[in-house]
Amino acid sequence: MKIITSWLAGAALALIAGMSSAASTGNTIATVDPEADRLALQAYFQKRFPEVELADYGNGIYALDAASRAQWEELEEFPPYEFDIEEGEELFNTPFANGKSYADCFENGGIGVRQNFPYWSEQQDQVVTLELAINQCRTANGEKKLGWKKGKIAQISAYMAFTSAGELIDIKVPNDKAKAAYLDGKAQFYSRRGQLNMSCANCHLQGVNIPIRADRTGPTLGHVTHFPVFRSKWGALGTLHRRYGGCQNNVRGTALKAQGEEYRNLEFFMSYMSNGLAVNGPGSRK
Amino acid sequence: MNKYLPLVAALVLSSSTVAAQSFEDVFNAQRALHGYGHAFTFEGEQYTTDHPEELEAAAPANATNAKALIASAKAMHAEVKAVGYDWTLTKGILKNASKALKAGDFQKAMNLAAQAKYHARMGVAQYHNSKQSWLNMVPE
Repeated sequence: MKIITSWLAGAALALIAGMSSAASTGNTIATVDPEADRLALQAYFQKRFPEVELADYGNGIYALDAASRAQWEELEEFPPYEFDIEEGEELFNTPFANGKSYADCFENGGIGVRQNFPYWSEQQDQVVTLELAINQCRTANGEKKLGWKKGKIAQISAYMAFTSAGELIDIKVPNDKAKAAYLDGKAQFYSRRGQLNMSCANCHLQGVNIPIRADRTGPTLGHVTHFPVFRSKWGALGTLHRRYGGCQNNVRGTALKAQGEEYRNLEFFMSYMSNGLAVNGPGSRK
Repeated sequence: MNKYLPLVAALVLSSSTVAAQSFEDVFNAQRALHGYGHAFTFEGEQYTTDHPEELEAAAPANATNAKALIASAKAMHAEVKAVGYDWTLTKGILKNASKALKAGDFQKAMNLAAQAKYHARMGVAQYHNSKQSWLNMVPE
């Protein structure tokens, strides 16, 4: 009888296991629920790392691994991005040839607005990231676009993030078109790519804090709060889309275009997941 | 301990063996075990563990066949690029295939073109598979 009971219990568990692998998360405009996704993601991390405060996820892997954190805190005593913020401020305040400046293109003169990017633009019918808005500001004022991944655009973005320190990420998905962009970003985050057949989630969800040679991958929760980042590997500041391209190359997939629709939608999804966390960019990473 | 064995067995079986193995599963298992050129049986029929591209590369090594295989590999590469799922090595392999063709090393050209075409075909398959399977990775 005991064996029969055990088999029945086993069968029931197998059924439950089967049900949970057939995910019921929203995958259509009608069913996708960004807030439910965000809470589920938070719950996942809180269950896995119960000792970590939610607010600390903005510090990435340094919220989870004490040894890495000690090294990082030493590095932050003389932040490697300090001069970039200063240069970013200077660039931000330098008028364009027509006498206008970046401040004329943004709400509140561009100060303390990082937490609202990316946003869904009804007018443009697309997700607008901070870097896209910076270059749109330039072209609207007769200036040439900056490169998307590093250099001046990263410095301006770093300065704008710096002026927003402590503001809480506040991404909105206001309508069905925005939901479609969010859903596309969500699908991209969980889709396997490249010859190594890995998704963003493989490293930044399931693989979090697991050593990969000398490194540990950070959690996706809080990922966007500290960009742009000064990476020791780059020896320079870089944007989030530069990092996306690097990640994709790491799994032997050809990187998509920085600020293309795919990466902007991915950033939209990832930023929504970090709603409520404080902006703490620019940051420094290995 | 023994009383838990059925429980464990049920859990293990639930995810895999209850459903009949597909041809793809069997092919991949045989390929992993034996490499290319191995014969196996599936549902009473005989197959080999060769990828279609390897069979194409086994055609007589000459300029015509090498050119045709490179062209079809390039077409498949364009297909995977269009959906944004191309792999990093494919472009370089295709370049090397063209170099080998120019140098008159037709077998090398065909082998490399076959490899590139396989990469591209797998990228397209990955794209379609991801469309179906990404949901399973989302935490509930």
